[in-house]
Amino acid sequence: MDPLLVTQALNVLYEVVTLAVIVLGLAIVFGLLGVMNLAHGEFIALGAYVAYVCQSLGLPYLAAVPAAIAACALLALPVERFLIRPLYDRPFDTLLATWGLSLFMRKAIEIGFGGGYKSLKIPVSDSVLVLGAPFPAYRVLLMALCAVLIAALLLWYRRSVAGARVKAMVGNRELAQAVGIRTDRLARDTFVVGLCFAGLAGVMVAPLVSVQPYMGLDYVLRSFFVLVVGGLGSPLGLLSGAAAIGGVESAMSALVDRTAGYSTVLLIAIFFLWRRPHGIFGRS
Amino acid sequence: MSARAFEFEDVTGGYGGSVVVRGLTGAVAAGEALCVLGRNGVGKSTLLRLLHGFLPLGRGSVRFAGRDLAGLDPARRTALGVSFAPQERIVFDDLTVRENLTLMRPGRPLAALAPYFVRFPRLAERLGQHAGTLSGGERKLLSLVRVLAEDRPVALLDEPAEGVQSESVRQMAALIGERKAAGAAFVIVEQNLELVEELADRYLILDQGRTVQAGDRSTLRRAELVAHLRV
Amino acid sequence: MGSLAVRSAVLLLLLLALPLALGEYWAFQLGLFFLYAIAALGVAMCWGQAGFLPLGQALFVGLAAYLSGAALIQWGEAWWVFLLLPFAALAAGALAFLLGLIIFRGRSESGPYFAIITLAISLLAFQVANSWNEVTGGYNGMKGIPGLPGLEGFSDVYYLAAVALACAVALCGWLVQAPLGTLWRAIALNERRVAYFGYDTAMLKAIAFGLSGVLAGIAGALYAPQQGLVTPELVGFALSADLVIWVAVGGRKRVLGPVLGVVLVGILSAELRERTYYWDLIVAAGFVFVVLYASGGIGALLAPLERLLPGRRKALEPLRAPAPKAPRTAVTLAIEGVSAAAGEVRILDRLSLAIARPGIYCLIGPNGAGKTSTFNMLTGELRAQAGEVRLDGDTLSKPTPYRLARRGVGRKFQIPSVFGELSIDENLRIALWSGRTSLLDWLRPAPRRWDTPVLAALRGRYPFLDDGARLASALSHGERQVLELSMALVTEPRLLLLDEPCAGLSGEETAQVMAVIRWARDTLGLSVVIIEHDMALVKQLAEHVFVLHQGRLLAEGDVAAIRSDPRVHEVYVGAAE
Repeated sequence: MDPLLVTQALNVLYEVVTLAVIVLGLAIVFGLLGVMNLAHGEFIALGAYVAYVCQSLGLPYLAAVPAAIAACALLALPVERFLIRPLYDRPFDTLLATWGLSLFMRKAIEIGFGGGYKSLKIPVSDSVLVLGAPFPAYRVLLMALCAVLIAALLLWYRRSVAGARVKAMVGNRELAQAVGIRTDRLARDTFVVGLCFAGLAGVMVAPLVSVQPYMGLDYVLRSFFVLVVGGLGSPLGLLSGAAAIGGVESAMSALVDRTAGYSTVLLIAIFFLWRRPHGIFGRS
Repeated sequence: MSARAFEFEDVTGGYGGSVVVRGLTGAVAAGEALCVLGRNGVGKSTLLRLLHGFLPLGRGSVRFAGRDLAGLDPARRTALGVSFAPQERIVFDDLTVRENLTLMRPGRPLAALAPYFVRFPRLAERLGQHAGTLSGGERKLLSLVRVLAEDRPVALLDEPAEGVQSESVRQMAALIGERKAAGAAFVIVEQNLELVEELADRYLILDQGRTVQAGDRSTLRRAELVAHLRV
Repeated sequence: MGSLAVRSAVLLLLLLALPLALGEYWAFQLGLFFLYAIAALGVAMCWGQAGFLPLGQALFVGLAAYLSGAALIQWGEAWWVFLLLPFAALAAGALAFLLGLIIFRGRSESGPYFAIITLAISLLAFQVANSWNEVTGGYNGMKGIPGLPGLEGFSDVYYLAAVALACAVALCGWLVQAPLGTLWRAIALNERRVAYFGYDTAMLKAIAFGLSGVLAGIAGALYAPQQGLVTPELVGFALSADLVIWVAVGGRKRVLGPVLGVVLVGILSAELRERTYYWDLIVAAGFVFVVLYASGGIGALLAPLERLLPGRRKALEPLRAPAPKAPRTAVTLAIEGVSAAAGEVRILDRLSLAIARPGIYCLIGPNGAGKTSTFNMLTGELRAQAGEVRLDGDTLSKPTPYRLARRGVGRKFQIPSVFGELSIDENLRIALWSGRTSLLDWLRPAPRRWDTPVLAALRGRYPFLDDGARLASALSHGERQVLELSMALVTEPRLLLLDEPCAGLSGEETAQVMAVIRWARDTLGLSVVIIEHDMALVKQLAEHVFVLHQGRLLAEGDVAAIRSDPRVHEVYVGAAE
C-alpha cells in the first residue's frame, strides 16, 4: 500500500478518534443530561495543565491520570451544586453561567501558569510502522486507548445497571423517581463523571497540542458542533458526529488549508443548527 | 384499632395556583384495597400524585405506617415502602422489558418473577424487547408486574386496567388479590367496575375534586357507581 | 412621550459636559466606549426585550466598520461621505434582519441554539475577514482610514459619539414603550401564546435582530474613522463576548443598563486590567453572580430612581379601536375523515364533525378520546395524515396558530397562560391589537389607548380588570382564567376553542364564566366549542354536544339525546375492553 495514503488515512483516523474522546465528556453532560456546559473545554485544559504539572514534578506520565480526575471531580462538585442544579430548567441561563465559569477558569489558569504555551514531552517518542508507513507511536497508543475507552463506556452504558438507571432517568424522570431512583444524586454523579472524562481527554492530548490558557475554546465549540451534527443522547450520534466533523475538517485542511477546514465545519454546524438541531441520529 | 398502613386526611392541592382536589380523606390497612372512582377530570390522578409527593400539598397530611410523609420527595417515599404506578408514561421505553423489571433489584434472579410470567406469558416472550415497542395493554401489564414485584407494603396504582383485555384484567385482579392476602395495602384509581367490585374493601367516589360518596364493601352498589360515572 | 424626550435631553447634556470635567484623554477613551454602548444597546433589545441572545454581535460591528472604512479610504475627501456611514449601518441591519428571518422561520426555536448559530456565523466571518486579503486586508486589517471630514481632534469625535449614543438611547426608549416593546416582552415570556393571537413572531423577532444590527452598525461605522484601523479582531469572539457581559452586568431590561455596563465594566476593565491580574476574575465571577441571582443587573437598582424623574404619564383618554380585519360572518367548520397518529398510537381516527351555525358546542369523551387533539389538529400542532378540514368552505391546509387567528379562530388553553410579567392592561392590549394592527401601528403610542365595547363590557362584569397596572402574575388562579378568557373574547373571534375554561374555579366563578360565554354568544354571534368534563356545566351550557371516543365521533345531539344514548352510556360506564 502506498505509505503516503496510509499516513493520510491514519491522520484522519487520529483526528476523528481524538475528537470523539474530547467530545465524550460533553456527550455525557449535554447529550444525556441536557446541560449546555460551555466550560467543557476548560476542564480539558485543566487536565492538560495537571499533566504538565505532573511532568514538571518528574512524575511518570500515568500519574497525571488520577491527578486530573481528582482535580476535575473536586471542581465539578461545587459547580454542579451552585451553578448547574439551580438552573436545571433554565437551559439558557446554564449556557451563560457555564460560560462565565469558563472565563473565570481561563483567567485563573492564565494567572497561575502565565499566558504562554507550555510544551510537554511526549511520553512515548518512537515511531512505529503501520502498514508500511511510519507513524508516531504515541499517536497509535492514543488511538488504541481512545477506542478502548469509548468501547468500554458504550458497553457500560448498554449493559450495566447504573447505565440503565441513567437511561431511565434521562428518558422518564418522574417514573425514575417513582421507582426509587434518587435522580438528584444520579444527575450529579453523571455530571461529575462527564467532567472527569474531559480532564482525562486533556491528559491524553496534552503532549500533542499547544497547551495554553485559551485551548479550551476550540474544544468546546467543536464538541458542540459534533453533538449537534451527530445527535444528542446516542452513542452512534457521538461517533458519526466525530467522524463527520473530524473527517471533513482534516480532509479540507489537507486539500486546501486550515482556514478552509474550519470554515467548512462552521458551515456544516450552522446548517444543522438551523435545519436539523437534533442531528443525524438524534430524536426529534 | 387496626394498624393503618396508609392514610391521608383533608388532602387539598393541584397544579400551579389551582386547587384540583379538596378535603379528600381515606385510609387502608394492611391487606386492604381502597378504590377511588369518578369520571375523567375529577382529580383522581391528581390525588395519587399528591399522595406520592409529585405535587405539593396545599393542606392536609399523608401518613405511612403512622409516619408523616410531608416534605419527602417521591424517591424517598418509594424507599420507605410506598410504590407508585402512574397512568401515563408508565414504563421506561428505552429499556428492555427485562431491564424494566430488574432495574432496582439487579441482584434478584429473573426466576423470582416466575409467578408473574405464568399469569402473563406475553411478558416473558418479550423480555429482550424494548418496552417502547410493546402495545398499550402489554405496557400496562409490565407496569403492574413491575410495581407488584417491588414487594412494598403499600402500592398506589393509577388505572392499572385501562385499555387491558378482560382476560388479563381477571389475572390482574387475581394477582392483586394474592398480594393483598400477603398483607400489602393498595390505593387504586380505577374505572373498571369488575376490578373494583372484586378488590375494593373501601371506596371513594370523587366529583369535581371532592368526595361525593365513601364507604366500604358492604355499601358498594353497582347501580350507584354507574350513576356517578355516567353522563 | 414627553418624559422620554426630557430624559434623553438630560442624558445628552451630561454626556456633552463630561469632557469639560475629564479632559482630552478621557474624551478619546469614552468616545470608543460610547460606540460599544450603542452596540450593547442592540444586544439588550434582543435579549432583555424579545428574549433571545445574539452571541456574535461583533459580526455586524465589524461589517459596518469595514464598509465604512472602505468608503472613507475611497472617498474620504468628499463632504458627502457622511451620508455613506448610515448606509453601512443599514447594511449591517439588513443582514441581521435577513438572518433573523431565516433562522427564526427555520426549525430551531430554542434560545440557546440561536445563540450558538450567531456565534458560529461570527466565527465564520472572522475566518473570512482574516484571510480575504484583497478586500479586508487580511490579518493586518484595513489601515490608514482617514477621519471624518470636518472633524478634528479627539473631542469632535467624542461629541459625535455622544450624540449618537443619546439618539440610540432615545430610540430604544421609545420602542420599549411602544406597542412593539410590549409585543417583544410578551414573546420573551411565551412565544407560542403570542402566535396564537395572530402575530408573526418570527417577523417580530427578526425586527428586533435587525434593529440590533443597525445599532451595531452605527457603532462600527463610527469606529473606523475614530480608530483609523479595522482588524479582524473586531469581528472576533472577544468583542461579542464582552458585549454580552456588559449587558448582563449593566442590566438588560432597562435602556440605560447596557450604557452603565459598558461604562462601569468596560472602562474599569481598560484601566484596571493593567493594574490587577485579578480584575478579569472579578468580572467573570460577577457575571456568573448576575446570571444566578441578579438577572436585572445594575440597572435593576435604578428602578426606584426612575420614579423621581419628571414626566409621569397622566391618565389617558381612551380611543376607539378600529374593527378587526378578519371576516365578520358566522363561521362554518367541517372536519371530514381526519386521521392523525403519533407513531403507533392512533390519536384521531377518521373524525368527522361539523359546525354550521353559531352556538355553544361541548366536546366530551373519556380520557384519550382525542378532544384536545382535535383542537391541536385545528390549530396545526398535530398534523393530520388523512382527511380534510374546511373553514368557511375553504380547505385548511397546513394550519398554524398564526394563520388561524387571522381567520378569527381563538383558543384558550386549559392552564391559564397569560403573560405573568406584564400588566393586566398590556395583556388585554396584546389581545386587542391582534388582527387590527400593522407594523406602523406598533410604533406609535396611540394603540395603547384603544378600547372597544367588548372590552368595556368585560371590564364592567369583572371589575378587577380595571386595575390595569397590576401584574398578571399577582392574580389568583380564578382571575387568571377570567383574564385569559377576556383576552380571547376581546379579539372578537368567530370560532372560539375553550379547553376546560372553568378548571380550578369556585362555584361562583364558574357561574360567572358561564354567563360571559352566553353573553359572548349573544353579542358577538360566535361559535364556541368547549371541552369539558364537568357534566353539570355541560348540561347548563351546551346547545349541542359532540361525544368523542377513541379518536372518532361516537354520538352528537342535544344534552337529552346524549344522556339517553346507550353507546355513550357504554363508553362511560361499561368495562374497558
